[in-house]
Amino acid sequence: MKRTVLVLGAGGYVGRKLMDALSRCEDMQPIACLRRQSSTMGHASVCFDATDPVELEKHISGIDVVVNCIGSDPTVMKHSAQALLQAARSNGPLIVHFSSMAVYGSACGLLDENAPLRGDIGAYANAKVEIERLMASYPRRIILRPGCIYGPGSPAWSSRIARLLKARRLGDLGAAGDGIANLVHVDDVAAAVIAGIRRPECAGQVFNLAMKNPPTWNDYFISFAKALGAVPVRRIGEKMLKAEGKVFAPALKILEILVGKLPVSLDLPPFMSPGLLSLFRQDITLVSEKAERELGLVWKDLETGLRDSALFEEEKK
Amino acid sequence: MISDARTLPDATVLQADFCIVGAGAAGISLALGLSQSGYKVLLLESGGEKEEAATQALYEGHVVNPALHSPTESYRQRRFGGTTTIWGGRCVPYDPLDFEARSYVPHSGWPIGYDEIARYYPQANRLCEAGVFDYRSETAFTRPLKPMIPGFDQRHFTMDTMERFSCPTDFHIRYHDKLSAPNIQILLHANLTRIALSPDGNRVTELEAKTLSGNGFSVRATCFVLCAGGLETVRLLLANRDVHAQGIGNQHDVVGRYYMCHIAGTMGGIHFSIPPASVWNGYDISDEGIYCRRRLALRPEVQKREQLGSFVARLHHPRITDPSHGNGILSALYCAKPFISYEYAKRLFEEDPVSWRDWCHHLKNVALGAPDIMGFAWHMLRDRKLAARKFPSVVIKSRTGLYSLDFHAEQTPDPMSRVGLAHDRDPLGMQKIEIDWRYVSQDVHTVKRSLALLQQDMADSGVGSFDYDPHNVEKEMTRYGAYGGHHIGTVRMGHSPRTSVTNSDCRVHGVANLYLAGSGVFPTSSQANPTLTIVALSLRLADHLQSLDFSGT
Ligand SMILES: Cc1cc2nc3c(=O)[nH]c(=O)nc-3n(C[C@H](O)[C@H](O)[C@H](O)COP(=O)(O)OP(=O)(O)OC[C@H]3O[C@@H](n4cnc5c(N)ncnc54)[C@H](O)[C@@H]3O)c2cc1C
Repeated sequence: MKRTVLVLGAGGYVGRKLMDALSRCEDMQPIACLRRQSSTMGHASVCFDATDPVELEKHISGIDVVVNCIGSDPTVMKHSAQALLQAARSNGPLIVHFSSMAVYGSACGLLDENAPLRGDIGAYANAKVEIERLMASYPRRIILRPGCIYGPGSPAWSSRIARLLKARRLGDLGAAGDGIANLVHVDDVAAAVIAGIRRPECAGQVFNLAMKNPPTWNDYFISFAKALGAVPVRRIGEKMLKAEGKVFAPALKILEILVGKLPVSLDLPPFMSPGLLSLFRQDITLVSEKAERELGLVWKDLETGLRDSALFEEEKK
Repeated sequence: MISDARTLPDATVLQADFCIVGAGAAGISLALGLSQSGYKVLLLESGGEKEEAATQALYEGHVVNPALHSPTESYRQRRFGGTTTIWGGRCVPYDPLDFEARSYVPHSGWPIGYDEIARYYPQANRLCEAGVFDYRSETAFTRPLKPMIPGFDQRHFTMDTMERFSCPTDFHIRYHDKLSAPNIQILLHANLTRIALSPDGNRVTELEAKTLSGNGFSVRATCFVLCAGGLETVRLLLANRDVHAQGIGNQHDVVGRYYMCHIAGTMGGIHFSIPPASVWNGYDISDEGIYCRRRLALRPEVQKREQLGSFVARLHHPRITDPSHGNGILSALYCAKPFISYEYAKRLFEEDPVSWRDWCHHLKNVALGAPDIMGFAWHMLRDRKLAARKFPSVVIKSRTGLYSLDFHAEQTPDPMSRVGLAHDRDPLGMQKIEIDWRYVSQDVHTVKRSLALLQQDMADSGVGSFDYDPHNVEKEMTRYGAYGGHHIGTVRMGHSPRTSVTNSDCRVHGVANLYLAGSGVFPTSSQANPTLTIVALSLRLADHLQSLDFSGT
């Protein structure tokens, strides 16, 4: 018998990749939950507002697993999680919930799943912590805390970085890039979800997801720039980075809001918020041995991951 | 944690596992190497976060022959970051041959082999921010490079080896955050003044330090490492004579001897007969963005056969001072002389006054070369002044195929070339140093013969001519005296206390817990600039210190 898997937030990058992976599994029957109808999905889908408990309850009935990939606005994330828990109470599906390494906030050093949840780096991190606390009351749940999910077309950690590297706005950042890039390939993330669903003993568990021996951000940028052919890599000084965080980021953010109101879509250059710039300095390493041990994960090697990601960017052109 | 020793109550006693003295390339690399060890590391640094005149003046001393050596307070910086706050960033590894005992280089031979250091070079290269550890242009670059001198017969000199350039990385700024690790404490404005030994002289019991504000404190630790530079380390060892009457580690009068810098100069005129545009004397930028430069390096087998020290040469612009080069950029640089720091101006310009006729000629060059000068100024502004990774040096491409030869050669270790103490003292009561730098005939021979080989190779290859006056070689190689900023060999490592100060672990012979780091411990100078090897040796020392068994201490 196939397991029915409802993927909330299936229109996002991780949701889409997960749908692809699930539909390749013979024992899974995935259904995409989308906010808006999409013709490009190519999978069975339903369309409703996941923050509405009544709608959710209706769609959850008869479903074995719900994967929660909703990761956007903190309020939406909170409301949908509350709605999900309420709806799940009646028929009790397994919930695989995507949290984030952001729950560890500004902590440094080696962090396993037992490290305190600080969430002290903004509203997103804070919401993720709150939602994890809510989820704790539901026994049939798996919480995944991925690091930075990269892979072909990953908007945040591959495509955006690629654009910044090509524009020579990113490169070798010196001390500002000494932080650890807790990268995890999107295929490994999908594999973690599938393994979690298949292994009943994983219910109730929390897993960090990040590659072993992660590079520093500088090493990530240099290696990715080489894979992209965006060489020679530029050394970016502290003054330039300050300007990125304090001048370009707010200006581009305002522009993004203004452009969002226009009927046409415009492709604006990416920006690096002060929060992102502090992540590049943060000496935080996610310990993900538990995922290796209990989910049987073998992390994709960075070189292959970067090659695929660079190829995707090349083909996009 | 980084704090200021001036705020410590007088006579405070501090405890640590390892106490490092000096936060320059050596001390900072060592502290970084120990940062994950879990041991408590205390780093004493004489200077503050910026240059301070009173602290810098503590480096003042005497030079026996000022024509041969620059003043003792120049070419080194007494501040957090040490001399990396002004260094040029040229990174070059030693070659395997440099570690061997060579019959034709007296007192040569290291107690460790190349492989011992090579293990640490990749990480050292990283700390120096010089990219991957690959110093051969053929393997370091995947794209084909423009040949340096097409058609040149490389039988004596190879054009494959290269130099890589650091940003240049100021170790203070770059590693400030990393040095804030919880197990590292850095005390600024802390000047080591006394090394206290146990009555039998076999152990350091504590260090005493003073600030220029008048307070003093002491440090007790399991191990102590002096990283105060190749000159100051000598001063600290010789100034402490209460237990060992000749100074620490100096039972056999070795401390301060064998003092080497490098032998360097600019020589003659190279006139290429091949098209000038086909000659490449500039930088190649690696994919990681590192400036790399190829040079002519005397092959190891030729060194052995000809019994020469190591030697490298680069194609250089003609002598700046002489306006007959007709180059507007060079003449403009001459006019900008007052704005260039002593350390960098010294080898660019000569001391001799320039006649008014030459001045006029320089001004004419400037007037005629105005468009080139504008381009050069823009390049220097964009790629050097404003760039985070700086274009390393002035490179002028000759339209006529005319160059001079800039060389850098090994200096032979000689016990008569030495650093000692003078009678007068600094404001902290420490005896000042006195430098008596000397070179030997083997050094002249290395340069003379290498130049002759190069001259012959140029002619035989039919690429051009190299004209110089062989009688002038000694004069030219000592025109600016000892190469500044490289302080090598003064506390050399070796097997025997009769001929060396430390053993192969950099521990002072006969003192169980006193170690030295920096180019002072190098037994030979190679042609290579020292800092990359200083950093590699410090990382090796960090590993050694962590491997020690401290139970029972
Ligand atoms: C102009 C210039 C250009 C150079 N370019 C190059 C280059 O291109 N390539 C290269 O390889 N090398 C170069 N060098 C040499 C390079 O700077 C040195 O090799 C390197 O800095 C030496 O490192 P160190 O840690 O041994 O000494 P330093 O960097 O000098 O550090 C010694 C530290 O000890 C501290 N100290 C001294 N006495 C005491 C005391 N009593 N108590 C406490 N602290 C003390 C000092 O304040 C200082 O911070 C250059 C040097 C100069 C001057």
